[in-house]
Amino acid sequence: MAHKTLFKPSLILTLRLNKTAISFSHHHPFRHSQPPFPFLNTSPISLPPTTRITNYTHLWCSNYTTVSTIEEGSEKCYLNLSDEELMRQCEMDTFKASGPGGQHRNKRESAVRLKHLPTGIIAQASEDRSQHKNRASAINRLRSLIALKVRKTVDLEAYSPPRELLQILPPKSSIRGSDCGSQIGPNNPKFASGMQALLDLIFAVEGSVSEAAKYLGLSTGALSRLILSDDSLRKEVNDLRATKGMKPLK
Amino acid sequence: MRLTLSSVYRPYSFPTLLKSSSFSTLCRPFCSSALSSSPTCVKPQVPLFLRQPIYSTKLCELKKWHDWAKGVAFSIGSTFVDSDNGPDSSLLCRELKWLMEDAVEDHSMIVKDDDSDERVKMRVGIEELYCLWKQRVQERRPFQYVVGCEHWRDLVLSVQEGVLIPRPETELLVDFVDDVVSENEDLKRGVWADLGTGSGALAIGIGGVLGSEGRVIATDLSPVAVAVAAYNVQRYCFQDKIELREGSWFEPLKDMEGKLAGLVSNPPYIPSKDISGLQAEVGRHEPRVALDGGTDGMDALLHLCDGAALMLKPAGFFAFETNGEQQCRALVDYMENYRNGSFCNLEIRSDFAGIQRFVIGFHQ
Repeated sequence: MAHKTLFKPSLILTLRLNKTAISFSHHHPFRHSQPPFPFLNTSPISLPPTTRITNYTHLWCSNYTTVSTIEEGSEKCYLNLSDEELMRQCEMDTFKASGPGGQHRNKRESAVRLKHLPTGIIAQASEDRSQHKNRASAINRLRSLIALKVRKTVDLEAYSPPRELLQILPPKSSIRGSDCGSQIGPNNPKFASGMQALLDLIFAVEGSVSEAAKYLGLSTGALSRLILSDDSLRKEVNDLRATKGMKPLK
Repeated sequence: MRLTLSSVYRPYSFPTLLKSSSFSTLCRPFCSSALSSSPTCVKPQVPLFLRQPIYSTKLCELKKWHDWAKGVAFSIGSTFVDSDNGPDSSLLCRELKWLMEDAVEDHSMIVKDDDSDERVKMRVGIEELYCLWKQRVQERRPFQYVVGCEHWRDLVLSVQEGVLIPRPETELLVDFVDDVVSENEDLKRGVWADLGTGSGALAIGIGGVLGSEGRVIATDLSPVAVAVAAYNVQRYCFQDKIELREGSWFEPLKDMEGKLAGLVSNPPYIPSKDISGLQAEVGRHEPRVALDGGTDGMDALLHLCDGAALMLKPAGFFAFETNGEQQCRALVDYMENYRNGSFCNLEIRSDFAGIQRFVIGFHQ
């Protein structure tokens, strides 16, 4: 059953040794609303940032096939995993406390921190008082971060956009069939998979939006607008363009 | 030997209770005289965040209270952690922030200048806020009782003295049920029971994962618990789906013998000798009847096993929360050896802290 193999400490311990994470504090634009009571911020307790990623550089899947404990091949499509399967690849810190827990304990420590062991990506959520909701937020953030940070190599010679990418394209795309349904926007959880495939393509064409647009049957302007529709996507593309000496999209 | 199904059957049930109590009134905490056996006397409290914002305070007064409250929180340091593994200053400060969120109507007002003479609408008077925070820190009154609610799964449940505060560990029991019913239509539209429901957390969580035909019967010995659970059930509009019955364990379920599709419970499981050493918030304030599981903590769990064998229909599912590995093993051992043939697919599941916490399985 689904929870049977979740969070086995032995599995976590062996896996966590596989990565040496580069510590890097990274601002992410995921809906972090202004705290309601600014004067509370004088408190020395700083809640952990909502999301954090420890690996600065993009992860290329092929480099990570050495993590053999994870089922083979699954590294390449983390976003296709169900929430439960994805959780199984994560180490979750909730209760730092020792002791018997359960009825013995009354401490509202609802913050959830997920570390995705194959990639070292960390997603956190602490804004809600319920652990259950924080867990759900953290896993959604993890999906977005995976989409942004985990790259797959693309064979441009034989390139054909995957369905999840077609679904986030505007209807005017000449290669987007009518069977793709209506366009999936950034607020839809399915957007992450399409965003990942789009970034794979943009990385393959070294940041050139006009090149990428040709593969997608779109005008350069239309693809730019798509990229600009999501803050985190825009940032990744612009970061890449900066390394190639290109001007940022605005 | 433990089954006393025929002994007590209390005739009053949930609908009677609803008619007789007004849920909209602001109530003060219960005094012991209110805890009579007649449910007509039990009025559940309205959680702070749901009360009308009929109070008004100057922003500077609120700021003054907040600074005082924070000072109190900091003066605690690690005193409580050292004495009984209670909250430290940082946890108390987080609770203070939540208390503000629940007490102040319009958060955006607080953004303004701290020393403003402007007034904010509040759900509680400023004097009472001083009183509440003193109760929290000096008396170690659980934060959830102070604000009258607990956030559990995607629910916000009303809680008050006399009702166990639902724990995050218990959230997983709903996931287990969700897994089981998503693969089994028959169980999904069956009748489930949550015994010792307390605030009604498990019943409401399960009500949400069952199909439209599925029903839950939630029982509790305590009239306060039944009243609070009824309030929570009503808030989530599950009156047609969840029925509350007052009484001990299986006593109010004698009409359901062999009919239950599923059975869940988070019964008292702490060994009696451990009660005195509990964190003050738990030991001093939560109902002992919801915590104390007898000499080895297994009294209620064994009773539940016996009852499960009788009440579950063939292939019915059960899931119980326990004190940890030792009780899980003892329970599985009991089911395999003493109730041989009654249950199958017994399994021990861990909570998110990695502690073996739950025993689940099916009736033959």
